[in-house]
Amino acid sequence: MARTLERAQLPALARGYSLLGSGGGGATTMLELALAGADDWPITLYDLDELDPMLPCLGAAFVGSTMLLGERLPGDTPFAPLIAAAERWLGHRVPVVCSLEGGGLNGLTPLTLAHERILVDADLTGRAVPGLDQMSLLVDQVPGVIATCDTGAGGVMLVQTGRPVDLERVIRSAIIQAGGAGGTVFAGFTVGDLTEHAMHGGTVRALQLGLAFDAAASAPLTELAAALGGRVLGHGRVTAIAPDAGDPHVNSIEIGGAGGEVHRLITRSETLAFMTDGRLAAAAPTIIVVLDAISRDILEATELTMARTISVLELPAPEWWSASNDRLRRVVPSAYGIAELDGVET
Amino acid sequence: MSEQLRLSALLAHPANGGLRVVAGPGDAAWSDVVIETAEAELPAAGGDRLAILTAPPPGTPWQQDALVRRTRDRGFRALAVPNADGFGAGTRTLAGRLHLALLHVDKPMVLAKACWQLLEARDALTLSYVRKVAQSIEYHADGLADLLRHLSSSVGHGIALVDTEGVLLESGGHLDAAVHSAIDFAPWVDVARAGTGTAASVRVDSPSRAGLRIAFFGDGLSDPQLSALAVAAEVAMPAVAARILIDEVAEVSDASVSSAVLRDFVDLRGAADPEVERRMLERGWRTTGYHLAFRVIGRSRVDTFQLLRFVTHELGAIAADSHATTSGRGVSGWLTFTEPPTAQQVELHVTSLRELHIAARRDFNVATGVGSIEAGALGLTTSLSEASDAARIAVDRSTTGWFVRVDGLGLEQLLLAWTGNDTFVPAAKSLLAPLQSGGGELLTTLSAYLDHESGIAATAAALGLHRNTVATRVQRAQELLGVDMADPEVRLALHLACRAVRS
Repeated sequence: MARTLERAQLPALARGYSLLGSGGGGATTMLELALAGADDWPITLYDLDELDPMLPCLGAAFVGSTMLLGERLPGDTPFAPLIAAAERWLGHRVPVVCSLEGGGLNGLTPLTLAHERILVDADLTGRAVPGLDQMSLLVDQVPGVIATCDTGAGGVMLVQTGRPVDLERVIRSAIIQAGGAGGTVFAGFTVGDLTEHAMHGGTVRALQLGLAFDAAASAPLTELAAALGGRVLGHGRVTAIAPDAGDPHVNSIEIGGAGGEVHRLITRSETLAFMTDGRLAAAAPTIIVVLDAISRDILEATELTMARTISVLELPAPEWWSASNDRLRRVVPSAYGIAELDGVET
Repeated sequence: MSEQLRLSALLAHPANGGLRVVAGPGDAAWSDVVIETAEAELPAAGGDRLAILTAPPPGTPWQQDALVRRTRDRGFRALAVPNADGFGAGTRTLAGRLHLALLHVDKPMVLAKACWQLLEARDALTLSYVRKVAQSIEYHADGLADLLRHLSSSVGHGIALVDTEGVLLESGGHLDAAVHSAIDFAPWVDVARAGTGTAASVRVDSPSRAGLRIAFFGDGLSDPQLSALAVAAEVAMPAVAARILIDEVAEVSDASVSSAVLRDFVDLRGAADPEVERRMLERGWRTTGYHLAFRVIGRSRVDTFQLLRFVTHELGAIAADSHATTSGRGVSGWLTFTEPPTAQQVELHVTSLRELHIAARRDFNVATGVGSIEAGALGLTTSLSEASDAARIAVDRSTTGWFVRVDGLGLEQLLLAWTGNDTFVPAAKSLLAPLQSGGGELLTTLSAYLDHESGIAATAAALGLHRNTVATRVQRAQELLGVDMADPEVRLALHLACRAVRS
């Protein structure tokens, strides 16, 4: 059943996507401001089964440094040349748009295209992930998927490959060439492909999470966690931040628990795992949300600084990932070369 | 349970592979030890044991947390692993929280061997100590202190030579006073404990000094270690006793050599003799500069060598270049200054010597004389002889505490000191013996006569006699003694003899 998104729901939707960012995915502020000023409201959101499975679909997302996006604002139609290139390559117009990354700022990205295309409630990750080869269509090796991206100074590149990792590496290089941040568009798939090879209802979930969070933002932590359908992992003060010797992007954040527990939060571009007293309590793809203990701001991994008091919550991972080991191994901590953190011991 | 493996015992073990406590309880005891390559190979039921892992632990903090957690979950109470000193604060806190002793070890196999020695192979432990003692005896030692240093560094524990009063010599650590007082001096072998301090001691059979013990000591040594160390001490004891004797012989011969050098020097009376000068320089005795001599002699029979040892030790506290050696019935010594000392400095040093004398009197019945400050070789001779005279006077001076300084003496005192010696007094007595008959009135008259410049009238006035009586008595004395009183030499000798006999 199609639903209508009102402008007033935008903050809650953004909050929901921040939660699904799992400590990464970028701040939604910039897109919130852009969308709030747009005249496209109300926006109609379709479920997958309401659309013809044969309809071609595309997904759009910002790639690269999310911090850089906050400093160097994209233009008003950042995806237009990328979509044009993709449509030209495919030889037909693509009428439907979905989300590539269902967490962080990219959760809102397809809304910027809603005025010209049909918005379908599906995404390729269900949470924030760092790599393009982690898009569900690529994980499942759906054939025919192409991608276009910025190369800087108005340049566009199109990649067609059977190897997902090539796509990640080539686009990553292009984005670096473009100045560290830019857009990418995936196309060459249909609404029908999304039925099996994507997460459904991410926008609705984000909206519900956002509304629940706003309603329970000042409630006790356990109540807040329950309202979000998750649980409290820990609460305490950041006592040490140690970068990993092998991978400087990996940080081990030590949290002195209120009851003397030794918590450890392992982050890369997102929060990946949480340990309590040497026991693994949660690990990706489970969504680990870090809140400022006082303001209840949703924190990104880069905002975890010494002596900050934080609360850590766990939200269930999209089930799509755990449906097969082949999918799961792309998102667990060992996918990033981080040892001994996969799977939660009971 | 006596078979327990104590952390303190392992820490005190000299070959524990570089064991250090990183976190967790500071002292603990375990029933046994398990040695594996990695945590995954440890048995599931750890029990009340220590786990030693030979492979380095994982490098990330979360893996280290997990290692600590899983080891504890297996039931182990302690984990010794290489590189544990690199574990972060969180992992250490976690170990403390889980009551797991987290130990760093450089060489896990060495630690494993130490555990084995303490738990199962006491004889191997004893043997390893004994072998180390034997090894340390093999090396040349300059003296007793050097031998103890060899022993302590080889065995890996502190060693002390003690008597009931305290520690005489120690090496490789400090023997706590509480442990010392816990040592029983009666038995052949003794094991003492006081707090965490422990010591294993053995009586030293020394013919020259009784009541000595050598003790190996350390913190938190276990019973097996102490009994092994007691055996090591038994093995080391003869070497120590022999060394004490060798050192004493060397000291005595050194003292007699230096005593001879001093005698030769004094005999020269300031004359230059290259041979004596060379021998003095060999001993570090310089004749140039300013000297303040002293002499300590026994009022009754004293062991001059023991006295010298005491004086030499005490001289160390005086801030001046000092030398001492045995000489006759006492000890002669002097302080040397390159610059002429001020009167104040001299007073200060005399005070120090007085303190030395007072300290010496606690153990020896001695009298001390101090000479005046003199320059050069002749000055040293002078000061030494002054000190010698002063000491002779001091023997009878209880009023000054048997301490006399030559600067405080009159000429007369000096002269008397000379005549008061053993050879003069009997000679004087036999010389004047003929005058003793008749109540000694002749001797009294003769003394007064000589005291009054051979004046009849003055003598008569002093004695309350008639002049003729005095003249007659002097005449009679002259006849009895058979001397010529006109001769000044004779008059002087008689005068001195009278004084010597009368005093």
